[in-house]
Amino acid sequence: MRFLALLFLFGCLGAVHAQKNYSTYAQLTTRLKDLANKNTSLASLNSAGKSVGGKDLWLLTLSKGDPKTKPALLLVAGLDGSHPAGSETLLLMAEKMLTNPSDKAQDALSKKTFYFLVCANPDAWDTDKSKFERSGNATPSDDDRDGRIDEDPFEDLNGDGLITQLRIEDPSGTYLPSKTDPRILVKADPSKNETGKYLLISEGTDNDHDDNWNEDAVGGVNINKNFTYNYPFFEKESGVFAASEPETKAVLDVLYRSNNIFAVIVLGPENNLSSASKFDVSKTTKRIVTGPLEKDAAVGEFVSKLYNTSTGLKNAPAMPLSKGGSLTQSAYYHAGRFGFSTPGWWPQLPPVDSSQKQKAPSVANLSGEEIFFKWADAEKIPVFVDWKEIKHPDFPGKKVEVGGLIPYARWNPPLTYLDDIALRHNRFLLDLTAAMPILDVVNVKVDNLQAGVNRITLQVINKGFLPTFADLGNRVKYVSKVRTTLNTTSTQAILSGKKLNLQPALGAGELVEYSWLISGAGKISVEVTCPTAGAKTLELTLN
Amino acid sequence: MNKFIYIFCLLSASVFAQTQPGISPADLNGMRAVGSPADPKVKESWHRYHDHAQITDFCQRMAKAHPDLVKLESIGKSFQGRDMWVMTITDFKNGNAARKPGFYIDANIHGNEIQGTEIAMYTAWYLAENFQTMPFIAALLRDRVFYINPTINLDGRENFIHAPNNPSSSRSGMMPFDDDGDGAIDEDKLDDLDGDGNIVNMRRKSPLGRWKLDPDYPNRMIPARADETGEYELLGSEGLDNDGDGQVNEDSPGTYDPNRDWAWNWQPNYIQGGALFYPGTLPETRAIKNFVLAHPNIAGAQSYHNSGGMFLRGPGAAEDDPFYSPNDIAVYDVIGKIGEKIVPGYKYFIIHKDLYTVYGGEIDWFALTRGVFTFSNELMNSFKLFNQQPNTQNRSQNQEFEEFDKYLLFGDGYVQWKPFKHPQFGDIEVGGPKKNYIRNHPGFLLEEDAHRNMSFTLLHAYQMPKLEVFSIKKKPLGNNLTEITATVYNSRIMPTHSSHDLKYKIERPDYISLKNAAVVAGMVVLNEDFNLTKEQKFTPQTIEVPNIPGMGAVKVRWIVSGKVDKVTVEVDSRKGGVTSLTE
Repeated sequence: MRFLALLFLFGCLGAVHAQKNYSTYAQLTTRLKDLANKNTSLASLNSAGKSVGGKDLWLLTLSKGDPKTKPALLLVAGLDGSHPAGSETLLLMAEKMLTNPSDKAQDALSKKTFYFLVCANPDAWDTDKSKFERSGNATPSDDDRDGRIDEDPFEDLNGDGLITQLRIEDPSGTYLPSKTDPRILVKADPSKNETGKYLLISEGTDNDHDDNWNEDAVGGVNINKNFTYNYPFFEKESGVFAASEPETKAVLDVLYRSNNIFAVIVLGPENNLSSASKFDVSKTTKRIVTGPLEKDAAVGEFVSKLYNTSTGLKNAPAMPLSKGGSLTQSAYYHAGRFGFSTPGWWPQLPPVDSSQKQKAPSVANLSGEEIFFKWADAEKIPVFVDWKEIKHPDFPGKKVEVGGLIPYARWNPPLTYLDDIALRHNRFLLDLTAAMPILDVVNVKVDNLQAGVNRITLQVINKGFLPTFADLGNRVKYVSKVRTTLNTTSTQAILSGKKLNLQPALGAGELVEYSWLISGAGKISVEVTCPTAGAKTLELTLN
Repeated sequence: MNKFIYIFCLLSASVFAQTQPGISPADLNGMRAVGSPADPKVKESWHRYHDHAQITDFCQRMAKAHPDLVKLESIGKSFQGRDMWVMTITDFKNGNAARKPGFYIDANIHGNEIQGTEIAMYTAWYLAENFQTMPFIAALLRDRVFYINPTINLDGRENFIHAPNNPSSSRSGMMPFDDDGDGAIDEDKLDDLDGDGNIVNMRRKSPLGRWKLDPDYPNRMIPARADETGEYELLGSEGLDNDGDGQVNEDSPGTYDPNRDWAWNWQPNYIQGGALFYPGTLPETRAIKNFVLAHPNIAGAQSYHNSGGMFLRGPGAAEDDPFYSPNDIAVYDVIGKIGEKIVPGYKYFIIHKDLYTVYGGEIDWFALTRGVFTFSNELMNSFKLFNQQPNTQNRSQNQEFEEFDKYLLFGDGYVQWKPFKHPQFGDIEVGGPKKNYIRNHPGFLLEEDAHRNMSFTLLHAYQMPKLEVFSIKKKPLGNNLTEITATVYNSRIMPTHSSHDLKYKIERPDYISLKNAAVVAGMVVLNEDFNLTKEQKFTPQTIEVPNIPGMGAVKVRWIVSGKVDKVTVEVDSRKGGVTSLTE
């Protein structure tokens, strides 16, 4: 009877587990195929490559007309497998984009291209998401680099189907329950006369008796640690070397081989959209650039403002782009494209009730975890397993308790929360699209000199609110520059001026002036192209 | 008496040859030159260069003629689809090839630096052909395995050999790119204006030019003195403005560098010229990385380049200097300094200090991503021309190559200047060094330098770890317990793990196991004299030692229960091989 009761309890817990209602990989695939099949004029689905485990990295392209010829955004989610919410959000965004009848959405689809790489690490996807957080792909990994693979996995010691944590009462412990919320264990601070009470480790036993617990569980390479910028060599989950994984190569091939991609937007555990990376001149003057260039930092501020206004999301936890090997940073520092990242969802607290006399602590003073627990309590979402004593073979005679955060709960809310998040992020996407660069040719002047010689003068201008491409892209060979070509006929000759002109990035409102001397009459055309900013062709007739 | 001995020798030699057909006779039609096989099974001349078909043919003949010594496999395809051949060379009848310390050799990563291929082929040939007659080679192939990858830029090499080129062109691979950003791909290549197979230089007579003829060697252009009127303008390499954009030869196939496509401190194109999208953009470098990962026994590596006469070690960038510890440098120093004697005129150098900065280079990948002791020889220099240092290293001031051409090549090194009507430049002349001169060896020097550089590499391979169980000591402890102490010795200068490897745990520890005994406890002996030990709780029968140092030993100990008769101690090291002793 007691057993049944327990089973019932866990069953309930399981049913409301935040992630249980997320799609399986097969369901994700079906949803993507359905989208492509039902919107043949707008959507197409291709495989960008296969994971180590042989699963397709689906690339959904949304575009009215030839996607290659229009400026594009590349949206990527699920690089870090422990963040399936990003993938669910991104897929919802694609679905909603296609059913959005607004002029703004239709305009965006006809003028721009959207590449959605919804699940960039499919091997991590189909693990039992209620069990333990898995970031990595199917590459066998020797996390502790001892020559044995997966020899010290987690164990579900209390049999609740979850891998949580162990706290052990021990004089050498360095953790204490937080004063504000005892569910949170914090490091004791000796400068505040605090002494620790607990050792804190993950749930399991020390299978290989090396005094490390669960240091080599199943789980391969976290793709968001395998990119090239500031690659964290020889770190856990980073792979044997930079870009060693087929998933990493697939994403980079899409990025480098599509010269129309203006920016990469990653849904993942980093955030430079809620608050932008700051300009620091000392990071930009060395041979290896480690901070955004001044113009690009200003663009970052602009886009961040746009993001906060469009989404209306507040109180984002600080998650600066500091991790090595991430796509967002590699896209910028190595590929020369703008790189943005946001987790998409984070706990939103209800607005403070101002009628209440008792002053609630300002959200700004709360830690991310405190906000998270407040949110979970208010929304009645089970995210925590209460500490419960067990007997542990590695700690005979000691008080050992199992409990703590439910795996995946921290960054992956129930699916119902993501619908709204996807709507908000689509608003941002459309606003960003509207601000993207637009090339135009203005102030065209044809002066007829003597003897059939004409002078053409014109200005190529960027009428958008964002530059044609990142300033750093000026240094990158594989970023296409603003190209102005004068197409003459066989009876015309260029006496002065170059047929083909390459111009570095044009900022918002910035222009460049060209002038040619042409002998010979008839039709002549000027073609301005920049894959990340669009194209414009001007036909003229010379007398 | 003398005659008798002579006849006896002759007799025994012929008997030897008859009974063991695998052995080449010591002498054949005259006297064998010492150090070279008299009658090699694979006939090959070493004073010429090979294209892909000839390399393939050579590798196949080697595998066929020496089935117990040479195995051939293709480890991948080049961008244009050529097979990348690797010859695995070892005494296959002795030991497990995959568990012997491995030495990897490749060459020609830059398409125009071709002679490393012949040196790699010569090495394969020399090892196999001398296996039966030279005890040193037999022992080397018993203990070690060589992986010989003669060319890793198959497409660039083929293009260099069969298409018009100059000594420096076709360095890259053949993957097409829009180099000048005009949207067209490879639309303005070099042009062989006179159709002689060489891309040489263009000059135009003009008093406005700043160049003049060298009075000693009129084929050679030298700058006019600062206060002197010049005679010629130099107009660059032979070519046309094919696309009418006002530039000549600005978009040739391949302007990337395969030696910037490796995953250690990889940097993008604007920091490191020649870099592609990410390390491993090229199928060739990916195939090699996969091969090396699949062969963790590789402990030493050599990648042949040209030119300059150097034994280069990493790092390629100054900021990686801290990854080369004094212990690791000491290993390089021994080999590098002996090398300066083996190949006169070559210098032992560090890439970033003595050459230039290279991010994402192959040498760093081997040494720092995989912990492999790696050298790169830059073959050929002007010392080789007259066996002396030229009076100046400045090529525009020394006349060594012109002098060598005159007295030893009889004019075969240069294309004589001749007039040409150029559509853009008008009346010009074309002339200059042939593509196979300057950077690649002249024929008669090739075999000698192949042998010398192979000898350097064999020294490097010889110094890979060689492990033996030096002793097994048994000491009764009473109570039915025995203490067994094993000493494992490495008789070469290379450790089983470089310091860098140890720091980052690139390769697993070495395992020392006790067989045929009931192990109660196991430990590493830190100091035998003072009985300092460190117990290993997990799998005590297999003690893990992080490293077995070069010219050094480690000791491990077990406490065993019950009757102890003969025990076996087995050493299992990824880079040091497998060995055991029963006592």
